[in-house]
Amino acid sequence: MILLTGGTGFLGSHVAAHLAGQGDEIMLLARSKQGLSAPARVDRLLDWHGLSPEKKRNIRVVEGRIDQPDLGLEPDSLSSISGEIDEIIHCASDTSFAERKRFEVEAVNLAGLSHVLDLAERYRCRRFHLVSTAYVAGIISGYCPEEIVHPSAFTNVYEETKCRAEWLAAERCARAGIRLSIYRPSIVYGHSETGRSLIFNAFYYPIRTTLFLKNLYEKDIRERGGRKAAEIGVRLDGDGWTVMPIRIMVQDGAGINIVPVDFFVRAFAAIRDRAHDGGVFHIVNGRQTRIQDVIEYTQALFHIRGISASPAREMLGKPRNALEAIFETYLEAYGPYMRDKRIFGTDRAGPILEEKSLHCPDLTYEIFKRCFDFAVRCGWGARLFRDKED
Amino acid sequence: MDKAADDILRTASQCRHYAMCKIDYLGTGLCPSGKEYHFVSYYPQGRMDLYAALADNLIPVTEGLVHIAETCTLCGCCELPCHFVTGLRPLQVMKALKGLVEDYLRSGGTPVSVPLDDPLRRLQSIVGADWASNDPAVLVTYANDPFPLADMKMPRYVVLPGSREEVSAVVRLANESGLPYAVRGNGGSVFGFVFSDGIVLDMQRMRRIVIDKDNWSAVVGPGVTSFELQQEAFRHGLRVNAAEPAATVCGNIVCTGTFSTWSHAYGTAADGFIDMEFVDARGGTFHLNDKRAPNVFAFENAVLAAPGICTEATVKLQPTTEDEDGMLVPFWDFDEAIALARALGRRRIGLAVAVLGLHYIASFMSPSKTLADRLKEVLPDALGVRYMVFVVGDRFARESVRGLTGPVIDSDLWRTLTLGLPRLLDREWQDLVKGFESGRPPYEILCRPEMRPLIEAVLRPSPETLAEAVEDDLRDLYAGIYSQPRFTDMVWLNMFRILSSRMSRHKHMFAFLIYVPLDRKDIIRHIVAEFARIAEAQKLDHDFGFLTPMDLGKRAILEYDYYIDHTDLAEREKIRRAMTEIEPWLDGLAGRTKGVTFLKYVFSQGCSRKENFLYR
Repeated sequence: MILLTGGTGFLGSHVAAHLAGQGDEIMLLARSKQGLSAPARVDRLLDWHGLSPEKKRNIRVVEGRIDQPDLGLEPDSLSSISGEIDEIIHCASDTSFAERKRFEVEAVNLAGLSHVLDLAERYRCRRFHLVSTAYVAGIISGYCPEEIVHPSAFTNVYEETKCRAEWLAAERCARAGIRLSIYRPSIVYGHSETGRSLIFNAFYYPIRTTLFLKNLYEKDIRERGGRKAAEIGVRLDGDGWTVMPIRIMVQDGAGINIVPVDFFVRAFAAIRDRAHDGGVFHIVNGRQTRIQDVIEYTQALFHIRGISASPAREMLGKPRNALEAIFETYLEAYGPYMRDKRIFGTDRAGPILEEKSLHCPDLTYEIFKRCFDFAVRCGWGARLFRDKED
Repeated sequence: MDKAADDILRTASQCRHYAMCKIDYLGTGLCPSGKEYHFVSYYPQGRMDLYAALADNLIPVTEGLVHIAETCTLCGCCELPCHFVTGLRPLQVMKALKGLVEDYLRSGGTPVSVPLDDPLRRLQSIVGADWASNDPAVLVTYANDPFPLADMKMPRYVVLPGSREEVSAVVRLANESGLPYAVRGNGGSVFGFVFSDGIVLDMQRMRRIVIDKDNWSAVVGPGVTSFELQQEAFRHGLRVNAAEPAATVCGNIVCTGTFSTWSHAYGTAADGFIDMEFVDARGGTFHLNDKRAPNVFAFENAVLAAPGICTEATVKLQPTTEDEDGMLVPFWDFDEAIALARALGRRRIGLAVAVLGLHYIASFMSPSKTLADRLKEVLPDALGVRYMVFVVGDRFARESVRGLTGPVIDSDLWRTLTLGLPRLLDREWQDLVKGFESGRPPYEILCRPEMRPLIEAVLRPSPETLAEAVEDDLRDLYAGIYSQPRFTDMVWLNMFRILSSRMSRHKHMFAFLIYVPLDRKDIIRHIVAEFARIAEAQKLDHDFGFLTPMDLGKRAILEYDYYIDHTDLAEREKIRRAMTEIEPWLDGLAGRTKGVTFLKYVFSQGCSRKENFLYR
């Protein structure tokens, strides 16, 4: 039996659905939330993943929370489930970058992990799978190896706590004789073949912002005379396309490392199957996606002109308009990921994936369109569970 | 009882007694019968109580009640002033009360006539037949208030004196007749103190205001409200450190010494007046500026009686400059907000300063409870704001604030955010704002000058946009109010304290006020945490209210608020249990911590020197 945490999250639910689909028995730890019981939340998610009723029976939901000792379980129910667990997949994570949320982020990413490790130790679990991030590498440039690292600086509290989580897991698992596998994906987006996704932040955010602004100013032009649009230089071309004067600062030779969720899940499963002795594994894309390509796809899909990629030297000292200010603010947070020059080594993961013929697809216009058509259709998550088509 | 009647009774029972129906703060006119007959019973507040009292069979239909009902013209001028701060719709109660009395008369009922007795005859000979009453319909409106721990107490008489001489004569008569008495500045009561089973003196008729510009002062009668005095001072380009708008100036000085965000610059207690006139317990008169007068400037840490009945106060007026404006400095961290407030105190920057909590900010900005509740969630969650330091100052002060701290919400942005509030809470916009977050909180983005065109495009701020937050039939009226610049002017709103009453729109507010040492963040945090702990244990709604630096940032006044439905017996029991913990804890803390004084002990010693209770 596998205990899986974070099973109601993006990666966790995909992993749970995949493993249950191939016949693994999963005990899924979940909380009730927003008036929905833990089983109801999980059931809704599994329906979203399209898991058959038969396969759903491979998943048993346990109501608990990792931010509490013993996962918030009563002693009786704890001992009744713990004896059955021989493997733990820890996907639960707080992905906030906000320093002001440090307390909450540490509570999940460190204290929460510690509670799960307590359980693993006490009940002599054989394997522990920790879903981490490629960005534990911290602020460096160049090669990032598949090993436990000790960077001197991090971009944000998320990176820092995920790195400390790796140290914690490595130390505790080594002491207890538990085999530890650490999976480090880069930025994960929707399904490359269906476009479906459960979250719409990170990579989705600047594109969502662009569309929001486009709709806002188009409405201003069509319904209110366009004064606000004119103030900021937004206009409609004769063919109905919207001109938005936005210069996005880019860096030569840099880009964003993104992987679709279906690749992540298959890679995770392959590594779990093959790497019985554990280790650290990057699940990344061998090629960075250029920001220029993302701009081009965005403009083509949403009928926009005027967005351009500008080298930093060309923008130096020039005033920004409000639209540019928004994107610059975004880049303050996500810049290290969007203008990334790090090379994530795949010495360990590479051969395993190669053996299974698993290759990370590049972000083509078709994949981009699939993903963002889906995002718009489901209201960027607002209608995820409401529309039948979703 | 059918649902409509049930709704009406619930509205009537929810009256908070804040008396905002007794001042024309919206400029939409005052209740005509209240203005003419002055007893609380003739104001919408009194009629709300009367309706509830009739439903509870507390009083019969009396001649007085018939007159009160008949003089209500159903003009509706009570509706908006009440709704603006409480969200209640009193007009339905006015109609129902009138309807009840009409039905009673139509069905042949005979109103009870209460005979004159000797004390009443003598009271009427002092103040005039119109200004003293023993009619239960009048008495009952002076018998109760929303304070959950005070029981109802019916007075035998209510009297409205018109002069100091009449006040003296009433006191002497009370003494001769063995009747206790209590004084109500504006006829109202909120905190359960001002009750008597003898005579209640309502000072509503003594409304003299004389501005003395040469002496930077105003002579005010005990029936003058803070709003009225501020209005008069404002006409002269001056300002007074005033209490809540419907509270009387004299009553508030005597009671609490008058504190506000302006106490940062103007002080409190004896700082606020030049002289006061009192009628003492024997009916004699004394002035504080007379060397033979009782020493009310001293302070004793005990619950004491007021020094007498204030019949006149000469209060200080303060200069203003044309470049005054307000600003808000958002914070996530309480300690950082306190540090800024203290820095402003120590450096003598600004006129009004306060650290405000979420409930304050959300209630002030939102014309409806629903919107306020949503804003209270969105501010921390999407914008990263848990506190704001509010500052009013001239342009030099505002520049200094900018130099001392990070991003600020200036008055233009405040107006934009307020008038566009319903769209600020739009989910998609919130998601986008949240996405700005990195090491710095999202509110910093909103404060950037280059973002203004975008924010205006998103929020489309206008009186009509904000009015979308209220019921359909009130939208035009609200749009009219918010089209007046003063209703989004932080200086005007704060000096008139128009929005204070909105604090209780959620539920009746139970405010705890404590003077604290501002250099002791540990003590301040402890007080806030302990109030929160006790409230959580009793399952009471609660929030930090505000913190204003005083006396060059050496001390501060801190408010922590509990919110209860005063008509719910279970909630009353919760607050009673909470009080059994709070009082001994605060007394103990004050006993061992210099600079901590519970305002409870300043009540009725509001004329004392602030130094005597700040530095015990």
